[in-house]
Amino acid sequence: MGLITEKLPGIIEPVPGGSVLLSSMDAVINWARSNSLWPLTFGTSCCAIEVMMASGAARHDLARFGAEVTRPSPRQADLLVIAGTIVRKMAPRLKLLYEQMAEPRYVIATGSCAISGGPFIYNNYSTVRGADEIIPVDVYVPGCPPRPEGFFYGILQLQRLIREGESIRRPGERRKPVLAALPAGITLDQIQAELRELLESKAQVKLGASATAGRG
Amino acid sequence: MEANELISTVQSLEPAATLRDKVDRPAMSVPKESVPALMRRLRDEPALSFDMLCAHTAIDWHNENRIELVYQLYSTKHRHYLAVFVSLLRDMPVVTSVSDVWRIAEWQEREVYDMFGVLYRSHPDLRRILLDDDWKGFPLRKDYKDEFMLEAPK
Amino acid sequence: MSAITVTSLDERIRRSIGADGGASTTQEYFVNMGPQHPSTHGVLRLVLKLDGENVREVIPVLGYIHRGVEKMGEHLSYRQFVHLTDRLDYLSALANNWAVAKAVEKAANIETNERIETIRTIVAELQRIASHQLWWGVFGMDLGAFTPFLYGFRDREKISDILEETIGARLTMNYIQPGGVMFDIHPDFQRKVKEFLTYFRPKLEEYETLLTQNVIVQERMRGVGVLTAEKAVSMGATGPVLRASGVAHDLRRSEPYGVYAKAAFDVPVGRNGDCWDRYWVRIEEIRQSMRIIEQLIDNIPEGKHLVVKPAVRTKVPEGIHYSQVETARGIFGVMLVSDGKDVPYRIHVRTPNFNNLWTVTETAPGWRVADLVTIISSLDIVVPDIDR
Repeated sequence: MGLITEKLPGIIEPVPGGSVLLSSMDAVINWARSNSLWPLTFGTSCCAIEVMMASGAARHDLARFGAEVTRPSPRQADLLVIAGTIVRKMAPRLKLLYEQMAEPRYVIATGSCAISGGPFIYNNYSTVRGADEIIPVDVYVPGCPPRPEGFFYGILQLQRLIREGESIRRPGERRKPVLAALPAGITLDQIQAELRELLESKAQVKLGASATAGRG
Repeated sequence: MEANELISTVQSLEPAATLRDKVDRPAMSVPKESVPALMRRLRDEPALSFDMLCAHTAIDWHNENRIELVYQLYSTKHRHYLAVFVSLLRDMPVVTSVSDVWRIAEWQEREVYDMFGVLYRSHPDLRRILLDDDWKGFPLRKDYKDEFMLEAPK
Repeated sequence: MSAITVTSLDERIRRSIGADGGASTTQEYFVNMGPQHPSTHGVLRLVLKLDGENVREVIPVLGYIHRGVEKMGEHLSYRQFVHLTDRLDYLSALANNWAVAKAVEKAANIETNERIETIRTIVAELQRIASHQLWWGVFGMDLGAFTPFLYGFRDREKISDILEETIGARLTMNYIQPGGVMFDIHPDFQRKVKEFLTYFRPKLEEYETLLTQNVIVQERMRGVGVLTAEKAVSMGATGPVLRASGVAHDLRRSEPYGVYAKAAFDVPVGRNGDCWDRYWVRIEEIRQSMRIIEQLIDNIPEGKHLVVKPAVRTKVPEGIHYSQVETARGIFGVMLVSDGKDVPYRIHVRTPNFNNLWTVTETAPGWRVADLVTIISSLDIVVPDIDR
């Protein structure tokens, strides 16, 4: 993978038609990446119950959407789900965990505490006001704690982000983070249907469209 | 044991103990010198047998320049409570540890040190418990200042 | 002054190395477990002194989720403080709310009615069941069995649904407030609770056949991590941990609050204080909670669900006010120090997990690392509750 993602773009790009080929590769690689997110188990407080446990358990069942292989080791994970408050004593450890993860790595900040410090902002000597003060965040999932549906929606947004915005031409590029607030009236079934669709739609390589999108 | 009886028993053990008012359970103020010996007797006296230290904490009376320690005792045998208060000077809060009377005191005292800076004589392992070892200041003191802290907007 | 020295963690470890260095045949070494570790239930860090696979010493290191709740409490009104207690032991959020509400009600002489107390008792017991279900699932997972996790959560979701309908939240409830409860119960509440009880009774038997009667599970629990009654009391342990050691101390029985006095229930007490007893006590507590709910659910008296205005800033008379409740993990106590204002001068929360955790320093040495995981899991700790 390292060879393909790091060396190849430089070789192919100048060749006539190489750009189109790269865009097709992007589509395949992004499809693979977005459908096999391996989260790191990193639950510090309340959000861990809803986001890591309830969403992985029988009713919500994250396993159907390719993001259930939770790994206790950061070296085997590519998605860091910050589920809970980060305090000043924990901050260096969070940074260390993030740095130990292999590229490409994604970060979802779930819950008010990981987004902004939540209820622990004022008159507080300990709580870091948002995980993004320590590491870059891709998707914010609001809630205190977010429902498992909310977390699913966050994963869905991240998958879209990976599919649309990523290219091996720009390795390590950081996207603009998105807020994955649950739209009003959306149900768990709708989110799961959308996730399923995303999972099942094969790497449909729309050559022309993705080539122009890739240049933009 | 009834509250009155409890208080008179404690006073017979420690004549210097006075009633601490404005507490909604039996409460005594005792001088800090009597802490380890009195505590041991509170635990061992059969009529009292306070075998559990439910909680140990402190209150910072900033304006009166003193820190008041609170020992909340409970007896699983007689099912009665007693709160013991000890006043310390705020500038030099030193008291003897009771960690050999109740095992849990070792960690509760570490927390009080961490938050209020109360030093415990003959404590087996006195160091910060919740904050980093190199933390400056004691956060639960009323005059604690920290450049990280934000004041709530009015 | 010079006699008292404050040490550091490094110093502590150095001292531990020196204790019996070279005395054992294999070299002793230190292993860091946590703060990011799957079986420490959050961000607990344990420094282990190991001899091969045998645990010689456990040094818990806390503070990785210390959020300074007590300091914040000095700037929040009593009503506002309730929502912070949700986030301490989030699996017993309702009981924690209740402790603050009880303290303020007692101090400010707010008379609640029977309806409020009955609703509080029922929802608190429902959450106790949910908490034990979660513990059961996670306990199974810590022992290496994944299925209990799925079973436990499947049934926990039913309770979450019932509570959500009335309360509007699944985890951090913020429901019981000084002077009542936030909302009246949902019209379907009673029916659904009864449905749940009929649904769950056979499921609990399933739990027993799945895990309790498993020989491997029994072997891993029996005799492991024995905590004697004397030690448990001296360590200030409460809740199922204390009761498993044979001390029948349950606030619901010894100082009934709510309407516990009206309900008939047993307090399960263990004999040996090993992991097996702690396991058994919790399973039995689920049964007793179901019994309590069963007796109360049809007898919710009529009345108002709130006796004070929702947004009122209650003034508490000067003095020190205590209250304690029995959560799923033990005694949660609140000490309010008031100077007569609507904001506490100081607020102290006595959390059950803080005391319960330290029993591991007594029970774990001598066991293997895998047993240490069992012991920690049998204590059912929630780390934000320890660190506050």
